[in-house]
Amino acid sequence: MGALSIRNVVKRYGSVTILKSINLEVRDGEFVILVGPSGCGKSTLLNMIAGLDTVSEGEIAIGGRVVNNLPPKDRDIAMVFQSYALYPTMNVRENILFGLRIRKATAQEMEGALARVAKTLQMEHLLDRKPSQLSGGQRQRVAMGRALARDPALFLFDEPLSNLDAKLRVDMRTEIKLLHDRVKTTIVYVTHDQIEAMTLGDRIVVMKEGEVRQVGTPQEVYDDPADLFVAGFIGSPSMNFIRCTVESRNGRLGVSLHDGAGTFFVPAPPSITGLGERAGKEVILGIRPEQITDKDPYAGANPHSIEQSARIEVVQPTGPDTLVLIRLNGTPVTCRVHPGASPKASQTMGLSFDLSKLVFFDPQTEKRIR
Amino acid sequence: MAEFARAESAGGRAFGRLIVYGLLVLVAIYYLMPLFVMLTTSVKSLEEIRAGNLVALPTSITFDAWSKAWGTACTGADCSGLKGNFWASMSFVLPAVVISTLIGAFNGYVLTLWRFKGSDILFTTMLVGCFIPFQVVLLPMAQTLGWLGLANTTPGLVFVHVVYGLAFTTLFFRNFYVSVPEEMVKAARIDGAGFFTIFWRIILPLSPPIIVVCVIWQFTQIWNDFLFGVVFSGGERQPITVALNNLVNTSTGVKEYNVDMAAAIIAALPTLFVYVVAGKYFVRGLTAGSVKG
Ligand SMILES: Nc1ncnc2c1ncn2[C@@H]1O[C@H](COP(=O)(O)OP(=O)(O)OP(=O)(O)O)[C@@H](O)[C@H]1O
Ligand SMILES: [Mg+2]
Repeated sequence: MGALSIRNVVKRYGSVTILKSINLEVRDGEFVILVGPSGCGKSTLLNMIAGLDTVSEGEIAIGGRVVNNLPPKDRDIAMVFQSYALYPTMNVRENILFGLRIRKATAQEMEGALARVAKTLQMEHLLDRKPSQLSGGQRQRVAMGRALARDPALFLFDEPLSNLDAKLRVDMRTEIKLLHDRVKTTIVYVTHDQIEAMTLGDRIVVMKEGEVRQVGTPQEVYDDPADLFVAGFIGSPSMNFIRCTVESRNGRLGVSLHDGAGTFFVPAPPSITGLGERAGKEVILGIRPEQITDKDPYAGANPHSIEQSARIEVVQPTGPDTLVLIRLNGTPVTCRVHPGASPKASQTMGLSFDLSKLVFFDPQTEKRIR
Repeated sequence: MAEFARAESAGGRAFGRLIVYGLLVLVAIYYLMPLFVMLTTSVKSLEEIRAGNLVALPTSITFDAWSKAWGTACTGADCSGLKGNFWASMSFVLPAVVISTLIGAFNGYVLTLWRFKGSDILFTTMLVGCFIPFQVVLLPMAQTLGWLGLANTTPGLVFVHVVYGLAFTTLFFRNFYVSVPEEMVKAARIDGAGFFTIFWRIILPLSPPIIVVCVIWQFTQIWNDFLFGVVFSGGERQPITVALNNLVNTSTGVKEYNVDMAAAIIAALPTLFVYVVAGKYFVRGLTAGSVKG
């Protein structure tokens, strides 16, 4: 039995359709991430799961029970909001216990819940403070504590970390991951930060303009994107897209790229059979920055890679790697090289292209060519 | 060099301060002068008032004028002072303030945190109420009170003031509640709280700053109101403002300035009291929401 099923769910505001037939099955104990650009309908979907917003069409079931017409309080869910939404006049203890108190829990139950939550989130010393006396990270923790207290079947998180500074965000990310490992409750987590999506999720749901573009594990979504949007959205720095024409050379299909100085042929992996019918047509080649690196003198000859020199336009050191911008077919292309290679702008550098993970997209439909 | 510049700018700042404080003191004196004259006059005897100068301190202090104003001065035909009118005023001002504030809070809550189709239009319509002068509503109001059977009664006067005050109290609370994050209400709904529980347990506890503003405003308005009082109140239970007017205008024998002054101060005391007690929240409430806390 799935923890959460979303079947053909549509949301309209007046004549505007915000969500267009969403389908999603979430397994028990799974950590699912909804990710997508701003305004794509993530919060709307989450609010509908919570019962804070009505469903225009379709069905939402939690734990096998259709909840379309249940109010939020009867759905056995808890939600953590971006602004934390703590009750400012209550102290931490009252904030955490408010839900239980409304539900007329016994003093004993409340005490037990409080002890459990305070211990899990390590905030025994904060219980008597008001939200205004807490730091951002502590408020975040109280908001999670409020959700944990009721021990619901489903947790909903709406961008819970986006109000925190970068360092704290990384810490809390780890904490949420550990928390999930401990409590094993199903989580649906909204973010527009693709790094959060990659690091936290068991599965990622990539959304755009009210549609689900792809569902998969982080690695699947990264290595095997369904379309141009997913490929560009997941990964930082993002995938390079180069317009080129399919041609056949020595019986192999591929594309040719020119870097200003000369033209070279890039053979496509033979597994991509869809290219066959496109000889002579334009396609979009996708190659991730880490697939273009400096030549490793110690590596043996890699059958999947070719070597080619290119003129460096810009150098951007990031610490562990140095990003190098070259130009192919008129498009700037980011390459990720070792800082030890000490590239310099406007010099020519020998680069190694790993071709095993090349992807191709149809320029019209933006779908993958497989 | 830098030292010198700093010294000079410090001197300049002190000079600026001096001017500012000087001005403030002047303005304060200007405003306090009438109160001073009223207070001193009210504790002088009639002879001293006639003999002396207006701003002179009293030579001997007597509270006869106060007890006369409170207990025996004539307001028209009736000679029992302002005592009865003071309590009459209290009897409709307090319920009117409490009821209009509560309804305003509730309206503000619904209009901001439970928006519905047309809620903004409704609010705009209510705002128009702030711009309707008293005189305009007199006749329709008299008619309505007649229909309701509340003409010339204390509940009638309460009703008038509540209706008239709603536009303002709703405005106050709505503008306060727009800064309350909607997510807080969502969180409370998920926690299981309903419409009224959220209002009582979460929204009202947030509201003391704006409640204070609203109470001060409403109390001052209603206590000091003359027109509704004179039109809609029954004969013997006139509000203190109407009685004060009658007392000052009653022309039997000599003009008793000390009694007039004492009576005026008695009539003003409750509003003064409200300001002094709640004043420090007043400013805080007016600026609340403008700065994110
Ligand atoms: N009450 C409403 N009436 C009309 N349109 C709405 C309403 N609420 C949201 N929308 C629209 O629905 C779309 C999706 O909004 P939503 O808040 O779900 O986006 P989101 O994916 O959560 O974005 P973000 O990452 O910025 O939070 C937006 O285009 C928004 O303008
Ligand atoms: Mg959102």
